Amino acid sequence: MKILGKTATALLLIFIVLISTVPFLWVLLSSFKTNSEILSGVLGFPGGIHFINYVTAFKLAPLVTFYKNSIFIAVFGTILNLAVCSMAAYVAVRVDFKLKSLVTLMFSMGLIIPGAALIQPLYTTLNLTHLYNTRLGLILVYTALGMPTTFYVMVSYIKTLSYSLEEAAYIDGAGFVRTFMQIVMPLTRPALATAGVIQFLLCWNEFQLALTLTGATEKRTLPIALYYFKSAFASDYGAMFAATVVVVVPSIVIFILLQKQVISGLAAGSVKG
Amino acid sequence: MINRKKWAVLFLLPGILLFAFVFLGSLVVLFTTSFTDWAIGRKITFVGLKNYIDLFTGDKTFIESVKNTAIWIGLQSTFHVFTGTVVALILAKNKWYSSPVRAIFFIPNVISSAALGMLFLCIMNPQYGLVNTLVTKISGNTFSQNWFMDPKTAFLSVTMTWLPYAGLVTILVMAEMSSISEDIYEAAKIDGASLFQTDIYVVLPLMKNIIGTSVVLAATSMLQKLDIIMMTTQGGPGSKTMNMPMYIYKTVFTNNNYGLANAQGVLLIILGVLALRIIRGLFKMDKKED
Repeated sequence: MKILGKTATALLLIFIVLISTVPFLWVLLSSFKTNSEILSGVLGFPGGIHFINYVTAFKLAPLVTFYKNSIFIAVFGTILNLAVCSMAAYVAVRVDFKLKSLVTLMFSMGLIIPGAALIQPLYTTLNLTHLYNTRLGLILVYTALGMPTTFYVMVSYIKTLSYSLEEAAYIDGAGFVRTFMQIVMPLTRPALATAGVIQFLLCWNEFQLALTLTGATEKRTLPIALYYFKSAFASDYGAMFAATVVVVVPSIVIFILLQKQVISGLAAGSVKG
Repeated sequence: MINRKKWAVLFLLPGILLFAFVFLGSLVVLFTTSFTDWAIGRKITFVGLKNYIDLFTGDKTFIESVKNTAIWIGLQSTFHVFTGTVVALILAKNKWYSSPVRAIFFIPNVISSAALGMLFLCIMNPQYGLVNTLVTKISGNTFSQNWFMDPKTAFLSVTMTWLPYAGLVTILVMAEMSSISEDIYEAAKIDGASLFQTDIYVVLPLMKNIIGTSVVLAATSMLQKLDIIMMTTQGGPGSKTMNMPMYIYKTVFTNNNYGLANAQGVLLIILGVLALRIIRGLFKMDKKED
């Protein structure tokens, strides 16, 4: 009985490790193969490492532009999101005001509204405000999309901070803004890191709104690049594999380097759901 | 003090404005235009419930999209969460492989879904894909199943791109388990419970809330699945893998029928709220205040 249980456990774990790694490893391996090697369906290792697919991928698609857009949007989408949410969270914890529950509700609204429902309205809004097909438009939308998680992470963290430091600052004559900037912000660094990683990944990976709120190649982000060049790469499998690797690797690297932040951020952010 | 209030308002303002710009404005547009006839090149006219009636009485694709979305919500809320929870219970025994396996299991969740769709498109390609190559090697016969395009396998193939990838559930359940006090395990051990019994009778009941949360997340994620469908089947063949987000997208950008798309958007939100209510009821999740 015990052996049976152990075998079942081992098999399950081996299974999940395989399904989680093999698709990516196979694509990684294939990205170094020539097209004829890919088509002949040889499993094993490529006959030699060919970087040519990566060269072709960068030539066929303006991957550099997509990369720049993704980095720009993710960096500013994260900074803006953290700034907006930590300010609001600070007020929500430290200041008493009448409509507090309404404000809290507002910040968590995003959780129950599926982005897919908002495709057409957002498209209209951004068109009206001339933000359609701009990086700023996507940055604003992503900042709002990530508000529930960041707000919640910040609120729960600021609650754990003792008020005595801020009180001392006020007694010393520091104002509201200065206390927030110089006392509170530095203390919340761990929470900012946690929420920031989650928000960065959201911006980096988001697909449906990036697809519908941008129209021109020079404004698109990496996930959309894959969609558009799915057809452009149709005959060049090697380049398609290489492009996929180029899109996937940053997310995996960020996750591996910042695992602790990702995990604690997910654990904290999900509770609200 | 007045100064403090003024700053408080200023601090809240950016968030409120963003909320208004992205969510509130959109919701108003969504609800109001769902009662209108609005398409490119036509004037907006009020038509009452016509869009809704059309969807439910004359639109087979829409019905199929609702059906598929509901099936996927059901599968994801059960199998997906079950898998993630079982893996969490195993890994929580703190073996040497626990944290690497947890990290590896999460990788498919951390990469862009569009990229995951691409990976699956590659490994399930009928000509050179890994799956068919393996089957050909093992069986000795040429095997050229077109997984995503064959009506018999399309639904299953799409489902497999998300159903087993429960790394997030595992992470959430493990995080919650780490808060269980050692004493509880000790007590169970002294009472003569085996590890398995401890898991079933002691640990799982304590996990009720986080499992409920995971079910909510798993269910609501199915209301968002445009990326993978877009990359793989685009709802086809026919409408075998059509879900609500994909059909909304098609209604907006292929048929340019905005009123009809927004009626679907309203129904998508309603479906989400409904699912949330049912799950919260099933798990008796009380509204926690914070």
